[in-house]
Amino acid sequence: MAAEFEARDFHARGVQIRNLRVSYQTPQGDIPAVNGVNLSIAPGKITGIIGESGSGKSTLAMALMNTVPRPGRIISGSVVVDGIGDMLTIDKESRRRAHGRHLGFVFQASQNSLNPLRRIGAQVLDLGRSHNVKDLRALIKRAKELLGKMGLNADRVLLSYQHELSGGMRQRVGIMFALVLDARVVILDEPTTALDMLSQASVLQIVRQIHQERHLTTVLISHDMGVVADLADNVVVMYGGELAEQGSTEEVLAHPLHPYTQGLIKAIPRISGPLDQAVALPGLPPDSAALMAHGCLFAGRCPKRLPVCGESRPTYESVGQGRYVACFRVAGHD
Amino acid sequence: MIEIKNLTKVFPARKGLLGHDAIKAVANVCFSIPEAGSVSFIGESGSGKTTIGRILAGLETPSSGDIWIQGVNVTKMPQAERRRFLRQVQLIQQDPYQALNPARTIEQALGDPLKVIARERGQDSAWIQTRMHDVLHRVGIEPGSVLNKYPHMLSGGQRQRIVIARALTVDPKVLVADEAVSMIDVSLRLGVLKLLKDLREQFGISLLFITHDVASARYVGQNGQLFVIYKGMVIESGPTDQIIDQPYHPYTQALLSAVPVLKGLENPGPDRFIPLRGDDQELIPDTVCLYQPRCPFAQTKCREERPALQGTEHAHACHFPVVRRVVATVRANEG
Amino acid sequence: MSVAESTSVSPKTPRVPSGHPTFIHTAWRVIAKKPGRIVGLAIILFFALMAIVGPYLYPRQLPINPNAIYAAISWKYPLGTDFEGTSNLALIVTGARYVLFAAFMAAIFTVVIGTVLGLVSGYYLGWSDSVIMRITDFVLTIPGFPLLVVLSTVWNFGQPVAMGFVLGITGWGGLARAVRSQTLSLRERGFIEAAHTLGLSPVHILFKEILPNIGSYIAMNLLLAVTGSIYAEVGLFFLGVVPFQVNNWGVMLNLAVFSAGAMSSVQALPYLLSPLIALLVLTLGVVLFLDAVDELFNPRLKEA
Repeated sequence: MAAEFEARDFHARGVQIRNLRVSYQTPQGDIPAVNGVNLSIAPGKITGIIGESGSGKSTLAMALMNTVPRPGRIISGSVVVDGIGDMLTIDKESRRRAHGRHLGFVFQASQNSLNPLRRIGAQVLDLGRSHNVKDLRALIKRAKELLGKMGLNADRVLLSYQHELSGGMRQRVGIMFALVLDARVVILDEPTTALDMLSQASVLQIVRQIHQERHLTTVLISHDMGVVADLADNVVVMYGGELAEQGSTEEVLAHPLHPYTQGLIKAIPRISGPLDQAVALPGLPPDSAALMAHGCLFAGRCPKRLPVCGESRPTYESVGQGRYVACFRVAGHD
Repeated sequence: MIEIKNLTKVFPARKGLLGHDAIKAVANVCFSIPEAGSVSFIGESGSGKTTIGRILAGLETPSSGDIWIQGVNVTKMPQAERRRFLRQVQLIQQDPYQALNPARTIEQALGDPLKVIARERGQDSAWIQTRMHDVLHRVGIEPGSVLNKYPHMLSGGQRQRIVIARALTVDPKVLVADEAVSMIDVSLRLGVLKLLKDLREQFGISLLFITHDVASARYVGQNGQLFVIYKGMVIESGPTDQIIDQPYHPYTQALLSAVPVLKGLENPGPDRFIPLRGDDQELIPDTVCLYQPRCPFAQTKCREERPALQGTEHAHACHFPVVRRVVATVRANEG
Repeated sequence: MSVAESTSVSPKTPRVPSGHPTFIHTAWRVIAKKPGRIVGLAIILFFALMAIVGPYLYPRQLPINPNAIYAAISWKYPLGTDFEGTSNLALIVTGARYVLFAAFMAAIFTVVIGTVLGLVSGYYLGWSDSVIMRITDFVLTIPGFPLLVVLSTVWNFGQPVAMGFVLGITGWGGLARAVRSQTLSLRERGFIEAAHTLGLSPVHILFKEILPNIGSYIAMNLLLAVTGSIYAEVGLFFLGVVPFQVNNWGVMLNLAVFSAGAMSSVQALPYLLSPLIALLVLTLGVVLFLDAVDELFNPRLKEA
């Protein structure tokens, strides 16, 4: 075990999601949160998944780990992580080992994932023990190395309780936990939401650095187009539990194809350029009625809607190298 | 219309287990907000910008300094009178989930302050109804769809609009928006920012916009004043556009660098730098520059003397002001 | 996950045309969710009805029957009879009024005093808080039951209001402390600050903004105070420290144990058991219904 732990392989791992369906059971019936998602997460790249609250992006992240909380339930599909297998079918024990060891997860507000009654260092040791790490001294050394790289006083942080750390520091500690066991795939769920701009910028910078140094595959979940556009290599846009568009960040931002993506980009207040280009996105996210309807999920808010948009849902089609979109307005859909 | 002079707020020291030393949250801050004007305060959390807004709204009392509103010195007023007078200043809080009473419907939330006003002005309940519909329309909400609802049944964006509508019921002259959009989904933020901008432009309600996001400060207050605040002190101030184009202070430059760059649409500024935030030093002696422990450009003088705010229109508090081009520029191919 | 949030704004949700669904309407929907709640409500209503109309069902002087002393359970005497041959059922039914009315009054006194003092103390702080909390501590340290025993020697408890008042006046301390601590945390919340800046009066803030947020807690305490008071007064009568002027459950228990020797003779067992079962069933009803109270008074649990 220890030998395997020391040997670092530098092959980045990809993730293939096939036909993933997750739904939440409510008294009003099952509500689809992730509805038939097919997505290949490129190894060695930062993939940003963007969507507003209720778009299913966080559920998708949890489904990657097979940790969807009740009343949510994975209905069908597969999540194959290179070198591990299908997260949805492997046995419980291998799945538990995969968490931390292969898949690192950074929670939205890291304070919720830290034990308030134990020092950070003690929690690192707990993590090591539950993963049968033999050399705990080396583990602490790696934790210190990571914290130092993130501009923290490692000795002080390891002796602290979570309430003694600021929001930005906690988020960094969260990243350290995700990486200390040498995870190859890191999932960050809204890593900067509660932070101010400076802390956000430094957390993004840290993620960028560590991603490069360790040849990680990074999945960044955010509702903030700016954060994704700054950090990610590829962008995946989610809307109402389905994928709306994906492609390389530069491509998607410069030439968005889906009207929702176009709306999102226009709704960013910018630091330069003319101000009157900024236009708010009208309307509200789709409700359960819209999720059940036959038409395009975005039809109700779409400035470019066609008669067909109210009748059937556009399929998610490839429209070029790594580019996909689900819109009747785009060539390739009839 | 509003003139703030030498505003200082010290939270006294507290003894005991959870005690702390005296904290100077705001130190000698001066600014003024013209009629229908806009002033933005930017800074990170804990910089004291929130305290300034709370003082203005009457939720905190200043330790020293004067607040003049329409020629009246508010700090000299007896408490009851001051509270009534300060109704002209309404605070829009960061968290619309906290700002609305979960046990009361939207109709009740808006009706309460309207009843007080109606009593003062001798108006009847029909007037209350008209006003209620009026303020809801102003914030872009169809009254029928929300009046009977409880706050938890609305989305974050709707809730913040309701909070703004409630503030409008008392005919404020100034809105203090403290991180008013930071809890709202980014896709809905611009809508609320535009609302604040429209209220200023159409109804002449001045705006004090408190934020950590320079881009949204630019959106709501492009032709207004911008104050960069660090550890309770103003370290750079001037017209918003001028500060964004030609920032002097390294802290301002750090804040501007921190705005995410949209790949494919923008090029990062050539001088962009992102300082890794170090551990905060609790106490900085009065004799050194406040920002010096974190400043990547600090020199010997910065550790020996605290720089004063210098300049008139565009002022800064830095010994070695150098304009750095840290702001992203729009790529030519856009559009 | 915010799936729930997006569903709550669904236009498909049926809306009552008159605007607000009435309180009775929502209350019934909440209660009907679980059968236990319905049973609880039914039991409470049953006893309330018994207290109101019970005494009118029987003659003022209950008939005695020397031929049926300690009679066994039969169609004529569903719960047996007492030492005079009076029907136990009649005793339970006519005795309910005093017990329940006194308990209800006690609960009202407890809740009103505890809530008002707790609210004022937690909201104003300062000297009023110090004074109220010292009084509260004092009340909390008074051993309530012995005090009642002492008081009963000088006070006539023939009137249930008097009994309720004494039980209430000694019982509000805990509630006042709890309400105060909830008020303390609520007063820091954004909506209270907003109410200040909007110029709303302190009375409005206390009773319209803060009180509804602790409504479910207070309603639960009201119900619990009812059961607590019932035990206290029945206990007093059982011990015999209060003169028996009226017929009630506590008196029955006392006579069954100390006069009829129900602990040793099987004969008088129905006499002992009938008030005990009445108490048990009523408590069960309150406990079952408590489950619904939180949902009834907690606005966050209300549906669109």
